[in-house]
Amino acid sequence: MDLLAPKPQPKLMVRDLSKELGNKAVLDSLDFDVHEGEFVSILGPSGCGKTTILRILIGLTEPTKGVIYKDGRDITRTRPSQRGMGIVFQNYALFENMTVLQNVEYALRFHDRFRSGSRTIAESLLAKVGLLEHAAKRPRQLSGGQQQRVAIARTLALKPDIILFDEPMSALDVATRLALRTEIKSLQREFGTTMIYVTHDQEEAFSMSDRIMVMEEARISQFDTPIGIMSNPANDYVKDFVLRNLEAKIASLSKYLSEAAVAAQ
Amino acid sequence: MRKRSQAPFEMLILLFLFWAVLLPLIRLLSLVGKVDVWMIVRNPQFINAAKNSMRVATVATIISVALAFGAAWSVARTGIRFKGILMVLMSVPMLVPSISHGMGLVILFGSNGVLTNLLGLNGSIYGFWGIVAGSVLYSFPVAFLMLLDVLKYEDSSPYEAATVLGIPKLRQLVSISYPYLRKPLISIVFVTFTMIITDYGVPLMIGGRYTTLPVLMYQEVIGLLDFGKGSVIGAFLLIPAFASFSIDLLTKDWGNVAFGHRSFELKKSRIRDTISLLWCGVIVLLVCSVVGSFVLITFVRRYPVDMSFTLRNIGRTFQMGGGRYLLNSIRISFLVSTIGVVVAFVAAYLTMRMPSTLSGVLHLISLSALAIPGIVLGLSYVVTFKGTVIYGKLGILVLANLVHFFSSPYLMMYNALGKINQNLEAVGATLGVSRIRIILDVILPQSRATLLEMGSYLFVNSMMTISAVSFLSTTATKPISLMINQFEAQMMLESAAFASLLILTTNVIIKLSVYAFKRHMSKKGVL
Repeated sequence: MDLLAPKPQPKLMVRDLSKELGNKAVLDSLDFDVHEGEFVSILGPSGCGKTTILRILIGLTEPTKGVIYKDGRDITRTRPSQRGMGIVFQNYALFENMTVLQNVEYALRFHDRFRSGSRTIAESLLAKVGLLEHAAKRPRQLSGGQQQRVAIARTLALKPDIILFDEPMSALDVATRLALRTEIKSLQREFGTTMIYVTHDQEEAFSMSDRIMVMEEARISQFDTPIGIMSNPANDYVKDFVLRNLEAKIASLSKYLSEAAVAAQ
Repeated sequence: MRKRSQAPFEMLILLFLFWAVLLPLIRLLSLVGKVDVWMIVRNPQFINAAKNSMRVATVATIISVALAFGAAWSVARTGIRFKGILMVLMSVPMLVPSISHGMGLVILFGSNGVLTNLLGLNGSIYGFWGIVAGSVLYSFPVAFLMLLDVLKYEDSSPYEAATVLGIPKLRQLVSISYPYLRKPLISIVFVTFTMIITDYGVPLMIGGRYTTLPVLMYQEVIGLLDFGKGSVIGAFLLIPAFASFSIDLLTKDWGNVAFGHRSFELKKSRIRDTISLLWCGVIVLLVCSVVGSFVLITFVRRYPVDMSFTLRNIGRTFQMGGGRYLLNSIRISFLVSTIGVVVAFVAAYLTMRMPSTLSGVLHLISLSALAIPGIVLGLSYVVTFKGTVIYGKLGILVLANLVHFFSSPYLMMYNALGKINQNLEAVGATLGVSRIRIILDVILPQSRATLLEMGSYLFVNSMMTISAVSFLSTTATKPISLMINQFEAQMMLESAAFASLLILTTNVIIKLSVYAFKRHMSKKGVL
């Protein structure tokens, strides 16, 4: 890496982001940057404001205070569809009355630059997520994991450079989650998309992310690489919520692994 | 996600509801203030009518709810056969005006009635028991469907758990069934009571000397044009309606989210199933005999003098303008169902999918239209809109019916919209698709079944209603439902019976069409 080259501008710069509901502070003066092509997880327990950050980033909710810069431009008041971002919801939010293909194609018809080739684009995206053979089916005929992949394909259709994920795996079983994880990471590599991923699952965050934003009660406790968090937890909360839980999971697993290893000998 | 552009829509609907619901009520109640209420209330005629109303409504409610409970239990919890047909037949009374039930009973049990002659009965159907019988017939289907809804969707898990734990069945009824049923049952009892006590059709036809409050109100307004006295009686009739509405509101089980829900397994049991089938069978028999009496009187020259088959009665009815009245009814019902579905959808969409501070008010007013008895609404419209453009035209009948029947379609749509994924508009916003397009392309297609039900409900009820329109129609705009009383008064019982048949047939056609359409759509996998 050329140490003399100017550092590229962060893809996303968030300054002094705050959100109040009533007298409760949902988000308290957040400051962070996300770099192009990064996979960032926002990790925290329910109710700590993670989903609110996503909704503010994509423009579905307005912040009480603060600015958001994307590629250096202030997008704090821009319309959601003009921000070049996509979002994938926990409950997929697919259009139940349309086929899988129509779901992916629908939004393309409303944008001039995509309108003419919309069907082809939709088909190729479905192929990318491995669902082309299901193109004529209705969402309810697919499994949860498949429906989520349709939702991801639908988001990719407009070529966003940032995709937000709001606990996308919470409704899925463990085997599906592991498979989907690999797929999301490979899509990221292929499209070079920046991804911001909200989850309450520590293991998921650690296995997928370049950096993890650990949140506690409306504030960021630590925003660092997985190794950074493991070796230097910023405070007791991080130690407790993140590390201790991870250790417990791994401990129970490694006990069986070592027993199995002994038994195999 | 709210935009500033939403407020005008809500304001528009609120203004409309204010103008159509609240303003007339206020005008009516202010009329009460201008009249010597104490004098009216002290009048023995009033006191007598009030006492009669209470007596009749209480007895009829108990009988109706008891019958309905047995029938609902039979359909929801036993293994009897023919459930589909039974349900349809037991719902038939909903398709004719209340006054027709009274007339059917007169035809069957009157001094020269079919069954009176056949079975050699003596005693008079007129008076207290006649009104009770007619009111039971009239209110039964509504109570039945409400109870069926409650019983069908009860979770069987607690019962299964109790059985495994060895808790006796009787104890289960006390500890599980009773607490679950208590609130909805109270609500249903109040709704039935209100329905019966505010009806003037049955007591008018079969009450004889036994006057009830709605009949008194009808006589004062139509006969004597005494709006003041009418409004006092109307105000009294508002009391049970509002009490019923408030109780329903307060006992609503908000957020009763069942974690897992098991429906009941229907097991066969010889004795129980036989009793249930008999129970339903008797009810169906009663219903069918009333409808049968209409058929008999229409197609028979003159019962019991001349029993030959004839179409002359039908001809005579059309000569008297029956066709025009039928057309009026169909026009009104068509307008009410199409306009009503649109307004109810918009209102439900605003309150369910775009909640704001005004939404609570809109929701409450939309539901409260249910609390106003039809004749009270009708009178309030007379007082408010007399002399205005829409008075005396079809428009005011459409408006009155729309408001009177608004709450159910609104609630149907509100609940349906609550079940559709709440993130769809957000998805549209992030993909650059406008809200209107999401509504047209995603929300409406998913609501097709509900929209059909709403339209069907509004149409069928507008065809058979006699309450809200009673004071508002002119000879030019009269719907055929109001002609039943008129024909009967002119000693043209055959025409009155035929009019009831016309209403029944129209409604049956509508219901069958909707049913067929839904089956067709579900076969195509669309619905």
